Amino acid sequence: MISDRLLAEFDSIVRNYPVRRSALIPILLTTQEHLGYLSDESIAAIARYLNLPAIDVYEVVTFYSMLRRHPVGKHHIQVCTNISCLLLGGEEIFERVSKRLGIKEGETTSDGQFSLAEVECLGACCNAPAMQVNYTYYNDLTAEKVDQILQALQKPEER
Amino acid sequence: MPTVTINQKSLTVPEGTTIIQAAEQLNIEIPRYCYHPGLSIAGSCRMCLVEIEKMPKLQPACNTRVTDGMVVTTQSPKVKEAVSGVLEFLLINHPLDCPVCDQAGECYLQEYYMKFGLHDSRMNENKIKRHKAEVIGPHVILDTERCVLCSRCVRFVREVSRSHEIGIFNRGGQSEIRLLPDQVLDNNYSGNVVDICPVGALTDRDFRFQCRVWYLSKADSVCNGCSRGCNITVEANRQRAHHGEGRRVMRLKPRFNKEVNRWWICDIGRYGYKFIDDPSRLIQPLEKQGDELEPLDWSTAAERAVGRIREAKQRGGAGSIVIVASPQLTNEDLFVTRKFFGVDLGIDQIDFRIPDKNTLSDDDFLLRADRNPNTRGAEAILLDGGGFDLQRIIESASTQSFGLLYLCEQDLVKKLGSEPARRFLGQFDYVIYQGSNENETSGLANLVLPAATYAEVNGTFTNFEGRVQRIHAGIEPLGDSLPAWRVICKLAQTAGFDYGYESAAEVFVELAQTVTEFEGLSYEKIGSEGMKLPETQPVPA
Ligand code: SF4
Ligand code: SF4
Ligand code: FES
Ligand code: FES
Repeated sequence: MISDRLLAEFDSIVRNYPVRRSALIPILLTTQEHLGYLSDESIAAIARYLNLPAIDVYEVVTFYSMLRRHPVGKHHIQVCTNISCLLLGGEEIFERVSKRLGIKEGETTSDGQFSLAEVECLGACCNAPAMQVNYTYYNDLTAEKVDQILQALQKPEER
Repeated sequence: MPTVTINQKSLTVPEGTTIIQAAEQLNIEIPRYCYHPGLSIAGSCRMCLVEIEKMPKLQPACNTRVTDGMVVTTQSPKVKEAVSGVLEFLLINHPLDCPVCDQAGECYLQEYYMKFGLHDSRMNENKIKRHKAEVIGPHVILDTERCVLCSRCVRFVREVSRSHEIGIFNRGGQSEIRLLPDQVLDNNYSGNVVDICPVGALTDRDFRFQCRVWYLSKADSVCNGCSRGCNITVEANRQRAHHGEGRRVMRLKPRFNKEVNRWWICDIGRYGYKFIDDPSRLIQPLEKQGDELEPLDWSTAAERAVGRIREAKQRGGAGSIVIVASPQLTNEDLFVTRKFFGVDLGIDQIDFRIPDKNTLSDDDFLLRADRNPNTRGAEAILLDGGGFDLQRIIESASTQSFGLLYLCEQDLVKKLGSEPARRFLGQFDYVIYQGSNENETSGLANLVLPAATYAEVNGTFTNFEGRVQRIHAGIEPLGDSLPAWRVICKLAQTAGFDYGYESAAEVFVELAQTVTEFEGLSYEKIGSEGMKLPETQPVPA
């Protein structure tokens, strides 16, 4: 279900565009931010909201790998293995994360805390190897650095 | 208007014409996957690349408009290399399962590979595996491995059927045709995606593994499914009797007619051919003996029919005979019906209109509520000047009694309901049924005369707009059945009227001379596209 608050956000996004359907991608991103992923239900609601056939929305959602049709963990770890990172050990970083968390590419830990993705260039080549956890960048990674980052994230939250 | 030169041939075309359209007029073949004249231009497959003088790069012919003085070549080494390269990419992950693919023989991967490819495979990597043989709707099956992602099917459901079931999901090498989760391709035009798919990705469930396409013979015809009169080809297997369980007609395909159906037909029409080879076909004359219908030969049957007609006439006059023709019959059939019963026997109670209790409706595209191909023709041929009201007899449930009913190709039990049909038929001492298939109504007749189906005869139908269109026999009349006009001629001859028609064409000549609305028409003028009945000129005041 799309909440009234989210709907209000849609309304304000739509106002930025001369053509209603142009608001599709920003609306998808906003929805994903709020709900974690784009469910079939959300997609149907967005299609209705924008007067688009649902199939058009699916085409867009499946085209962009950063739009997700399935939930991910609380910490979505995206490790770059594109050329600069690869040359500087990106694959090893990926393996390190994978082993420590016990999950493979595209998987989520059973406690729902972490998920892991292998991604293309994050635009951080000058500080390669790089990874991104949700919207936070971590650069110049080493095995030790990765361990520290994960440890910090694994700490039970203070209440 | 710009003049373009393609492969040294020049042509002047209207502003806005694309290179691919101009080439078509010059009979120059430019290969294409995404381009289809009935859909918007995608310009995505790059099969149609051509070289244009003064342009550094090759251009897609489907998406480039002709300008004045443009010089195009489709045969330079550069073009050949590019087109063969595009094909090579398309074939990288293609499963090459032609031996089990229904499209083989009419597949544009095969066709273009032979014409523009002929390269050896250079791929050592494994092919990407995808979804195969997915049933995606009541009529269509999808094989994503064979798909070349031309997007024709996507544009069809977006622009023509406007049903939006299909899309291209994912990106790059992962792209593939998919439907919405839990949705099926189910609209009355779904079969058309099979026709426009240039490869074997979308195939027809009805035709699946029935027959190799090279065994099919094709006859130009017109759909009998409704009064639109969509142009079709009837495709029959006459070479491999053991295929498709002996069925002769294997499929119907749309035939382009700009004025009627363009490239499309509806599913009701497309799959409505099954009655032609159905076991319910009437293949010999039958006569009721007690409760059973017993076979008899044509000359005995004709004598029996004519004898009964004479008897009824002698006893109760022409007014005791009712003729119910059918809007399923051709103009030629109807004309001979009118000539024999109306003119020569003087029977004026002739009609064809049976009210249908099953209310049908138009869809918003081709399909018409009137599910008969020749209502307009029947009106023109049978009703001019006739004041007979069949409806009144049917509805009044009169206790009036008649001598004889001659009923053609109408299942009264289905249309009126069992009880009203029996009541109506009960008013007649003798009922003759002429038709192609056995049904509950034919079962109630005293004499049954087997007629050919539209796929087995030559003739014409007149669609709701008054367009007269020709149909051609694709197969022989089954068993002893005869084209309806020949059935009537047989009766006429037995009654002493020899019309001497050798063919439907000869009937039409006389029809055009006799029936005012058809004046001036001929098979030549009708041609393959049909011709509208000349408008009745308004009388000047
Ligand atoms: S299924 Fe056929 S029509 Fe549709 S995109 Fe693929 S090749 Fe083209
Ligand atoms: S619209 Fe009518 S004439 Fe055309 S295919 Fe359908 S049933 Fe046949
Ligand atoms: S290659 Fe990894 S950030 Fe650019
Ligand atoms: S036919 Fe021109 S790009 Fe596909």
